[in-house]
Amino acid sequence: MSQSVARLVGIHKWFGDNHVLRGIDIEVERGQVVVVIGPSGSGKSTLLRVINLLEEPTEGKVFFEDTEVTDIRTDLNKVRTNIGIVFQGYNLFPHKTALGNITIALEKVLKVDSDEAKTRALEQLDHVGLKHKADSYPGQLSGGQQQRVAIARALAMRPKLMLFDEVTSALDPELVKEVLDTMKELAGEGMTMVVVTHEMGFAREVGSRLLFIDEGLILEDGPPKEIFANPSDERTKSFLSHVL
Amino acid sequence: MATAQAVKPDRGLAWVRKESTSTSLAVLGVGAVAILLVILGTALILILNGFTPVEAVERAFKSNETKFICLWSVVLGVASVLGALLTAKKMPTKVSREQAIAGGVLGAQAIVLGVLLWVFSSGDVHKFAINYLDFAPVQKQFPAFLHAARNTVFLALTSELAGIVLGLALAGFASSARAVVRAPARTYINFFRGTPLLWQIVFIGVGIPLGLGINISTYTAAVIALSLNMGAYSAEVFRAGIQSIEKSQLEAARGLGMSYMQAMRYAIVPQAVRRVIPPLMNEFVILVKDTSLVLFLGLATNERDLLSWGNQGYGNTFNATFLIYTALGYLAICLPAIRLVNVLEKRLRSGLVGVGA
Repeated sequence: MSQSVARLVGIHKWFGDNHVLRGIDIEVERGQVVVVIGPSGSGKSTLLRVINLLEEPTEGKVFFEDTEVTDIRTDLNKVRTNIGIVFQGYNLFPHKTALGNITIALEKVLKVDSDEAKTRALEQLDHVGLKHKADSYPGQLSGGQQQRVAIARALAMRPKLMLFDEVTSALDPELVKEVLDTMKELAGEGMTMVVVTHEMGFAREVGSRLLFIDEGLILEDGPPKEIFANPSDERTKSFLSHVL
Repeated sequence: MATAQAVKPDRGLAWVRKESTSTSLAVLGVGAVAILLVILGTALILILNGFTPVEAVERAFKSNETKFICLWSVVLGVASVLGALLTAKKMPTKVSREQAIAGGVLGAQAIVLGVLLWVFSSGDVHKFAINYLDFAPVQKQFPAFLHAARNTVFLALTSELAGIVLGLALAGFASSARAVVRAPARTYINFFRGTPLLWQIVFIGVGIPLGLGINISTYTAAVIALSLNMGAYSAEVFRAGIQSIEKSQLEAARGLGMSYMQAMRYAIVPQAVRRVIPPLMNEFVILVKDTSLVLFLGLATNERDLLSWGNQGYGNTFNATFLIYTALGYLAICLPAIRLVNVLEKRLRSGLVGVGA
């Protein structure tokens, strides 16, 4: 089996006249924690959402393991069950409990029977430390708790790759840590992850590979500690001097 | 840290009494007496004289008691308005000021009603009463009235339900990303929103049996026309409801591997339904009154709705009291529905409907 989990080849994305991604080639390997940083508007969220085709690239090919996801004959819904995604705004279903948010896709997409779905959901809620909130609605949970439920919801599908799209950006400062800790634990368990973030501490400590992206191009790609210590591109230097 | 022992202040009757002044209570009292006198007094005189025969109603309005009510409601009303104007700004507490203002407002309302009662009772009460307040002939038709009210409710409910089912399907097609699916739904919706309901009812009731040679009862035709119309309007309500759900909800569902239809069914529509309940109830209130247009199809006696019944009674007897009953019938159906819409909207705004079930 190949080590490659996700591969982007020659990706370009246009929003109207706006050229957001200008030729991206990356390969994410099993077990890697790829952290993507860059100024706002640089295209890092778009890059992440191209991986599971929530954004369709204007040009280029996306592969998941050995499947070409951009091939129109590929069953996209099936591929997506292998790729978990967590959003900045949590995006829990407000009409379902924490438990219901997790079981719905297990039952309707993976066709797991309801007892098994409940067991798996509770397992994942326990994993993120929220088993006691199983029957709470999103509106009754704090932002940090909602985001951890969203992580549990993605993990319950038993994905091979997890995508995190600025998942701490909407949180109050005192709630950021609980979410980062959950992600750190996940990385420790060997999950393959792509993380778009502004948390430089997390990037340095947990990331196994750092991408710096600006104006739709990858300017740095390497071990986080090296890039933080010795950035090669002028723009990386200027960005890091502003955020560190 | 020092913790202040905060006790929730008592806002009971004793507190209200403490915050009031004798002047504010007096202004409020005079205003209240004025409005109660004109409303309850008139009602009492009418009841004591009886509603039938029509001469009794006439006698009540021409009585000295009625003149007494007119005079005193205006006198007391003026007193409380003056009292409020002179004292409200000087009141020491919020409660007493509000009491004085409420007294003045009630007094002003009593003046308006008292003057209206005076003008009415000094006019040609006889002519008005035999046309609009002659209850005796209407009472004999009361069972038919109840039957007509039942027909109106039946017409509205059937068309509402059929219209909702049709509307959901149309909203689905009209929201499609594919133009070929969207176009027929849009054409349908625009046609039924762009032509008068009366035209639709007459066209379906008269045109379809003639043109297609299909024999449908006028009642069936009425239900079909109202349902088709309701379908177009509720489709727009559903579409707005679905569009009001954040796009991120769809992304979350698709990100979990749901198909577009699954995302709609399990994530979007359950949320949208909660939001469209008040506007759909509103459409129902409008529909109840629109059912009256079936009058133009000419209904058999046992098929008559409220307006047909009133119109028939008026035509037969030249007694417009039938139409007063018709209005009361529509109010009896619509007011609870209007109340329900208000309650639902309030709950929805406070987010209570968003949570649960």
